[in-house]
Amino acid sequence: MMRESRLNGFFFLLGSLAAWELAAQAGWLNPLIVPPASKILNSFSSLVWSGQIPLQILASLERAAVGYALAAVVFIPLGILMGLYDAFHRGLEVIVEMLRPIPPPVVIPVAMLVFGLEDEMKIFVIFFSCAWPILLNTVDGVRNIDRVLLQTAKTFGLSQQKIMWQVIVPACSPQIMTGLRVSLPITLILVVISEMVGSTDGIGYFVLDSQRRFKVAQMYAGMLALAILGYALNQLFNLLCRIFLPWHVGMNKRME
Amino acid sequence: MSNSKNFNWSGWLAFTLLLFLWEYGSRLSPKLQLYIPPISQIFIALGGLVFSGQLAVQLWITLVRFVEGYLLAAAIAVTLGVILGYLRFVHSFLEMLIEFLRPMPSVAIIPVAVLLLGIGDSMIVAVTVYASIWPVLVNTIDGVRHIERTLVDTGRTFGLSRREILWQVILPAASPYIVTGLRVSLSIALILVTTAEMIAGSKGLGFFILDEERSLHSSNMYAGIIVVAGLGYTLNRFFLTLESRAMKWRHGMSAREAA
Repeated sequence: MMRESRLNGFFFLLGSLAAWELAAQAGWLNPLIVPPASKILNSFSSLVWSGQIPLQILASLERAAVGYALAAVVFIPLGILMGLYDAFHRGLEVIVEMLRPIPPPVVIPVAMLVFGLEDEMKIFVIFFSCAWPILLNTVDGVRNIDRVLLQTAKTFGLSQQKIMWQVIVPACSPQIMTGLRVSLPITLILVVISEMVGSTDGIGYFVLDSQRRFKVAQMYAGMLALAILGYALNQLFNLLCRIFLPWHVGMNKRME
Repeated sequence: MSNSKNFNWSGWLAFTLLLFLWEYGSRLSPKLQLYIPPISQIFIALGGLVFSGQLAVQLWITLVRFVEGYLLAAAIAVTLGVILGYLRFVHSFLEMLIEFLRPMPSVAIIPVAVLLLGIGDSMIVAVTVYASIWPVLVNTIDGVRHIERTLVDTGRTFGLSRREILWQVILPAASPYIVTGLRVSLSIALILVTTAEMIAGSKGLGFFILDEERSLHSSNMYAGIIVVAGLGYTLNRFFLTLESRAMKWRHGMSAREAA
């Protein structure tokens, strides 16, 4: 059943591509807007082999990784503190609620003003936009820890440090992972936007620049690369989850 | 944020402190003032822009684009989602296409939209529709699939017509999922509208903010950001209010299910 449905999907995709190709060859589509699929694939493969697309993706990935990692390093500990200490939470709550409704792309002009068009600009934008999902999920995770768990640990005389690393962090890590997972596509979107608005390299810049030069096949090739990148990042994240949190699945089952 | 009987004093105190720090930090350093003008100046700029009606015009343009894009996306995605969730055969054909298109960062569609539709309202709305469709679509498919078949079969046994089953069984049963998708799409739609306005717009709040940055009117830029944040906040509140009204019945229902 499963196999059959995958097969249907595959053939449908193949069929659509063939229909696209035929329509383009027959001249039904404006080649300046929708070139034939084969032309796009050709352009894609030559751009990959010439190293141009890998280079642009590498530039984007570097920014994305730094911003994402920075957000994780800052906001996971902050979230744990906010989840543990109510006074701390209340103190920061208003500031968070004031900043959170700002749509992240709007921060790009601010970052451009402060950092210019450098990498720091994009890193800051990513850092800002990943902050809320990571922070709020971590807070939620810590707050939802069973109090009995903490008290048991205390009763057994675990030190503060041990409680933190052996009880709190493992107990809220699924929620932290949720925050990190939600932030992943946000990171990718924001790196593309910030490269479109203010950059001279990166895959976002590449796609927009190709459009502005009317190199349409090249533009679609860049989009194809982005789709593959998005898919690959998601798969990589799932893999890491399975490696580092294998107990999570079993644990949830036990809880129910 | 916090209800009146439980006012968050420390939170507002910290916020006020931050504003003071901003104000005086900026006043003390002329270099900083270029990027971060004193908060008082930003509010004066905001007042001027509100008074002259300039901001209201930009806000209205952005809001109209947002509403058009969001509602259109919701209508398309729910319709398509119900069809794909219910007819597994059709879904099996489109599944791979969806899986392929969804991970692509939606903003990458902006250059294509510019080619197809030029620079203008229709391009911005189209881009917003494209990006906002995905969360609603995927959630609706999920929701329809999670409906218990007995529910639908019971409806049939009682002689409900197809249309009645759709409106009185399927849509209500899938609505918690649909609402989740709609909530996610709300912020995505706002992101896409402002982004499209920045990249290829000549009007709207996104354009306004970037334009003020480029002409180094930083106070005006911050004023624009305050307005966008206000818009985001208001839209979210509005959605939550509607949601709690519309989903009130759900409370009693799940309690009954649990009993």
